[in-house]
Amino acid sequence: MTTLSLSRTAGLARANATLVLRNRLTLIYGVVLPLLPLGLLLVGDSGSEGSGGAGAAAIVTALMMAALFPVFYNLLSQLVTRRDELVLKRLRTGESTDAEIITSLALPGFAVALATAVVAVPLAIAFGQDAPLNPLLYAVTVVVTLLMFAAFALWTAAWTRNAEAAQITSMPVILLAVLGQVAIGFPDEVRRFTDLTPGAAMTDLVRVSWFGMETGSTAQTLDLGGTWAAAGRPMLVLVAWAVLAAYLARRSMRWEPRS
Amino acid sequence: MSTRTSPGPHIEVRGLHRSYGSGADAFEAVRGVDLVVEPGTVVALLGTNGAGKTSALEVVEGLAPPSSGEVRVLGLDPVADRAEVRRRTGVLLQTSGFPADLTVAETLRMWAATMTAPRPVADALADLDLAGRADVRVRALSGGELRRLDLACTLLGEPEVVLLDEPTTGLDPESRRRVWELVAGLRDRGCSVLLTTHHLEEAEELADRVAIMHAGRIVREGTPAELGADRPATIRFEGAAAGLPDLAGLPAVARVGTDHGTTTLESRDLQATLTALLTAAADRDVRLPGLEARSASLESVFLAIASGEEPAAAPTPEPARPTGGAAR
Repeated sequence: MTTLSLSRTAGLARANATLVLRNRLTLIYGVVLPLLPLGLLLVGDSGSEGSGGAGAAAIVTALMMAALFPVFYNLLSQLVTRRDELVLKRLRTGESTDAEIITSLALPGFAVALATAVVAVPLAIAFGQDAPLNPLLYAVTVVVTLLMFAAFALWTAAWTRNAEAAQITSMPVILLAVLGQVAIGFPDEVRRFTDLTPGAAMTDLVRVSWFGMETGSTAQTLDLGGTWAAAGRPMLVLVAWAVLAAYLARRSMRWEPRS
Repeated sequence: MSTRTSPGPHIEVRGLHRSYGSGADAFEAVRGVDLVVEPGTVVALLGTNGAGKTSALEVVEGLAPPSSGEVRVLGLDPVADRAEVRRRTGVLLQTSGFPADLTVAETLRMWAATMTAPRPVADALADLDLAGRADVRVRALSGGELRRLDLACTLLGEPEVVLLDEPTTGLDPESRRRVWELVAGLRDRGCSVLLTTHHLEEAEELADRVAIMHAGRIVREGTPAELGADRPATIRFEGAAAGLPDLAGLPAVARVGTDHGTTTLESRDLQATLTALLTAAADRDVRLPGLEARSASLESVFLAIASGEEPAAAPTPEPARPTGGAAR
């Protein structure tokens, strides 16, 4: 379980990517949907006051969509579908390890999400936004966010009866993610709680790492050193959610349909 | 082709128990199974649905740990030595599991990518008569084709040990015959095969040894001929054979029954009973329409166990052979 075979994982991931591209529905939410919010950068008015806020919102939305659809929802629906088709059980009779099977299922979505996160940089610059202030922190934020949502997908799959049911069972995690992002305009007393959601933590981290914006601010207030300090609390929240999700996933993982 | 030879049996199961659930809901599906599969032999686990065949096989496959007892495959632990065991083992599950939207060739390529030393995909396709279906999606395959694709994956790594869970259930007679030929070919190459089935014909046709499972235990074990040896042979004919002396008085007759106008004699010595019956009939000029005589088959053993006629508690007894028992 500790080391992955590259060739096995890649071979399985290739088949999984074929499957995602071959089904129109998975193609739309797995590949097309996450790229759409990047279009918001085009309409963001880069010359006016507070444009940093609009650009940040567009990028945060794009990353959130990339985490929610190609990674979370896609992995959830692939897991449930393959489990019900008995594909997971069949694969477990072969040489592949459990970690390789799960990684290969997550890889196509990860590739799309990472590509979105990378493409967002030149695209944002081209449309008048600043380049990321702290690229390393930005990259760490993206990776931790994606891992957390992948773990949430594994956990959600455990109590999702079939692929259709995923439309409902995905709601708690989606709400948890979106709540933090929309709560940015809520009063402070409410935000004290919503800041503890993974969506808020991820939103804060993107605004801090890319734009040097402190929580609640729509203009750059931080220098590079300041971004590390400001990232501490939301990163702690994000990592805590990731650990919780991984723990839940590990406890509840099911490999075959309930009989 | 098997490349390594391990000394000793290919599969060894000792005192295997497997339970589901816990507390009041606990159910013990496997209740103390012992089983040995020697290299180059085919062993069939025969039983009705719910007898515990699949539950036992899943432990041998390493998919589930035993509740207690020990399993060795190629002398190794299927869970602890998973990587080594898997590389040399081919498994076929009771129900095939492949993504519906991949083609046959894509499925085999995916499977090959997970193996240490796969055969060429084209060879596997040809061997299972799937070359013409290479670009067809899995969802469009017939049941027989899907099973053949599954078997192609099972055999792709040239395994030394092959575990087949109901390999022919749901197949048409022609596909079933093909699978039988394949299994026979595996044995000829020195592989060992452990399969489950509830088809008596399949067990009789394929297996060197048969283990009959009932309620979580192996209640009889031996060659198909040995298993039949302690069961009575049967003679049947239509009508009540009026004019013959008391049938129960014929030599070696264990039981006489009539059902829907058919008379059935159970005999511990088919030849002796049959000779006496035919002599008596000839002497009295009695016709026996629809006359039929057969040695004990696996079927009668199996039915006797399934109906509870045979005690299911005795674990793999050495059958007490009646003298002059019916041989096959």
